[in-house]
Amino acid sequence: MAAEAPASPGGGSHDSGDQSPRSNVREQDRYLPIANISRIMKKALPANGKIAKDAKETVQECVSEFISFITSEASDKCQREKRKTINGDDLLWAMATLGFEDYIDPLKIYLTRYREGDTKGSAKGGDSSAKKDVQPGHNPQANKCFPF
Amino acid sequence: MRQAGAYSGLVSASMSGRMGPHSLPLARIKKIMKKSGDDVKMISGEAPIVFSKACELFIQELTKRSWMVTMQGKRRTLHKEDVASAVIATDIFDFLVNLVSDESSNDNLAETPSEEMETFRS
Repeated sequence: MAAEAPASPGGGSHDSGDQSPRSNVREQDRYLPIANISRIMKKALPANGKIAKDAKETVQECVSEFISFITSEASDKCQREKRKTINGDDLLWAMATLGFEDYIDPLKIYLTRYREGDTKGSAKGGDSSAKKDVQPGHNPQANKCFPF
Repeated sequence: MRQAGAYSGLVSASMSGRMGPHSLPLARIKKIMKKSGDDVKMISGEAPIVFSKACELFIQELTKRSWMVTMQGKRRTLHKEDVASAVIATDIFDFLVNLVSDESSNDNLAETPSEEMETFRS
């Protein structure tokens, strides 16, 4: 895994080799897009801060590990309780159990906002302009909740 | 706002509902969740949405802690060694220790370069 990593996340720089398309497919299964990761990382840094490519790739791997770590714990809980579907509350519980309790409140707010937005959106049916008004990203209150 | 308005409205609405506010792709999150174990078969629609925000919080926390290491070294570029140091210094990131130390041991054969330097100085 580590041996393949340097070739693929950068993409396209090497034209040669049949391996890179294959490993790119694998990358897509295993990791979140590095551009998205990079964007979120930059938000956490001051304007003059730079991020090396190897740091982005490391964080990219860490995020997948984070998802697996939380999911496994949530999955164990579901099995104990003989449920088949992992839901949002299982994940919140797993995060609280594994030390990420600071994430719970922001996540609950996020989820509430999503549910409200979602139900309003479907209730209004096909009216696209109404949907645009509901769009959470433009809600000034939402920005208060999430200073990120 | 041309003839295609109805369609583009639908597209933008579904984008804003599914992808827009989420800074990470939900389908990819779901794939990674399914790879977590053989028991993970059914995932509620909300679960990837929870993760899209949780991963954002996680990335920000990891980046901020790594940047503190960068700053302590009086540097302006965050490197993977900074991420590794931040992981090792933070309890809740214990599950990442193997991942970051595996990586660095690939690069430098000596697993503890910092200790060596300290002994060298003293």
